Amino acid sequence: MHHQFRTPQGPVDVTVAKQGEIWYLGEHQATLEHDGRLRIQLASGASGFATVAKVGDVWWVHFEGYTFCLERIEAGASQSGDEGGLTAPMPGKVLDVLVEVGQLVEAGQTLMVLEAMKMEHRILASTSGQVTGIHFTVGQQVQQGSVLLEMTEDED
Amino acid sequence: MVSKVLVANRGEIACRILRACKEAGLASVAIYAANDVKSLFVELADQAILLEGDSITETYLNQTQILEIATTTGADALHPGFGFLSERADFARAVSQAGIQWVGPSPNAIEKMGDKMSARITMRDAGVPVIPGEEIETEDEEEALLAIQQASTRVGYPLLLKASSGGGGKGMRVVDRPEDLLEAVRSARREALAAFGDGRIYLERLLTGSKHVEIQILADRHGRTIHLGERECSVQRRHQKVFEEAPCATMTEEIRFAMGKAAVAAAMAVNYEGAGTVEFLLAPSGEFFFLEMNTRIQVEHPVTELITGVDIVREQLRIAAGEPMSCGELHLRGHAIEVRLYAEDAANNFLPAIGPLAVFQPPEGPGIRLDTGVRQGDEVTPNYDPMLAKLIVWAPSRDEALQRMRRALDEFVVLGTVTNIRFLRELCDVTDVIEGTTDTTMIDRLWPDGWSPSPPVEFEDGALMAAAVAESAGLHRPSVSTPGAGVHSGPVSPFLTLKRRYP
Repeated sequence: MHHQFRTPQGPVDVTVAKQGEIWYLGEHQATLEHDGRLRIQLASGASGFATVAKVGDVWWVHFEGYTFCLERIEAGASQSGDEGGLTAPMPGKVLDVLVEVGQLVEAGQTLMVLEAMKMEHRILASTSGQVTGIHFTVGQQVQQGSVLLEMTEDED
Repeated sequence: MVSKVLVANRGEIACRILRACKEAGLASVAIYAANDVKSLFVELADQAILLEGDSITETYLNQTQILEIATTTGADALHPGFGFLSERADFARAVSQAGIQWVGPSPNAIEKMGDKMSARITMRDAGVPVIPGEEIETEDEEEALLAIQQASTRVGYPLLLKASSGGGGKGMRVVDRPEDLLEAVRSARREALAAFGDGRIYLERLLTGSKHVEIQILADRHGRTIHLGERECSVQRRHQKVFEEAPCATMTEEIRFAMGKAAVAAAMAVNYEGAGTVEFLLAPSGEFFFLEMNTRIQVEHPVTELITGVDIVREQLRIAAGEPMSCGELHLRGHAIEVRLYAEDAANNFLPAIGPLAVFQPPEGPGIRLDTGVRQGDEVTPNYDPMLAKLIVWAPSRDEALQRMRRALDEFVVLGTVTNIRFLRELCDVTDVIEGTTDTTMIDRLWPDGWSPSPPVEFEDGALMAAAVAESAGLHRPSVSTPGAGVHSGPVSPFLTLKRRYP
């Protein structure tokens, strides 16, 4: 069976096949344990147990002391591109807006200050450019991923 | 006499205290905000009362409401835990005046030690060296900015801004250059005001290359004030401790003796009662400087418990009840290490993370202790501190404790929320950690551009395979259970009975 997952390095195609009780991926093998874990036998001979859980579209996998987040890409689903805006890294509240629309900013300049979990987080300009939009005002709550501001990059 | 304890806290430390109450045969009352209704600590209490209100100020910081609950539930003692109201002298005073025993030192001692400036004066008078620093008393923003600028030239750079009534890294900023001072002060004041309702700022010189070493104190009303040895908590990021151990790897008998003596003197100078911690910076030269005294139980108290065999929370309850502390002569035995598990993305500048705890499987086996306020199925929300659990190990030697910690962290499975487990695991392989030569700047020095995991490709293949097989095998779909007798969609049948035969 064929699946596609998003990894930090980009999308990866995985095709697994089942023969009897054993699943194959090339020379790697996996069997399903009665407690829902997977016993993985790697081509190198190393083996271990994987614990898995699916939250939304993401498969969370714990294997050999590492935790992986693998988002399953549904066949035919559109690839969400980069929004081009500055997004909230986490849910929180806007504490301060330090720029205005039309303002020219330097790379690294603080544009907005958020508060989340009682800590302050500064939203910085990643490049120099011009602020073209501000979507929140002081005191407003923002969700993770909300586009906070928009700006155009300087051409150099 | 103490017979019923109200725990004015939440999460992991509330669980720790409520369990101690149960063991001591004391009745307990938990207080909780609406968003904590399903939290573990609420379950562990004999009685749990809902706090009205939404924000932390209206709930866990609401002195009037909490005191009212304590009175109406008939609690005769109140344990504040750490954070929240634990170092608020006015609250301690109000509690005592209501005839309820405060589990902690007198309001006077909290005032003297809680205020960084008077603590410094007290310590200087007790003959303990203090770090160069100044406090800015004024509350007015513009006046404060001016005063801070003047003070900064006397204190010197690099310097550290701290909230006067702070803790936990909140309201704290490192300033390397004079031109960064103003923005740092504004932001530190704002954070301090939001977290503690007090915008006063304290400046001190940043001593680089030093270890953070602290002494645990216990004092009772029968004239006994002792120390329980030291803890080292140098490994910090954003001034939050992440890796703590006891004893300190480079401690000598001479330094421990001198530091312990200074800490006991400090406690006695304010007629201290209960458990407290005196924090020091230990310079590479062996000189040490007083940092601050925490007049409450501390997050990292378990490492001291494991090497001394003293149950510090139980002693707090005993001392509050007016009894003498129960511990006799102390012997430090073996080595203990604690790591703090945070719901945070270490690979993304340690930003707090949220999500469900779809899987939460702590390690087991010899020498392992887990202090947590969550369990599998809980949701991590942005409402409170992102600390999920404290994993503590004990072993006869430091090497073995590190080996045990590595094993425990490898076994720890948390899925659904990003945690710092892998980061903590890799800390255990850092040369400075292995050799015990950690200092407070280690994390920033080792990972100036942030940390990110780098699993071997082979493991990534294994994980991808696991996800593909799990998806193919339909592991994400809840298993369909055969509807047996008693599963109805309509009204409950009156014929359902519990069939139990008694011989």
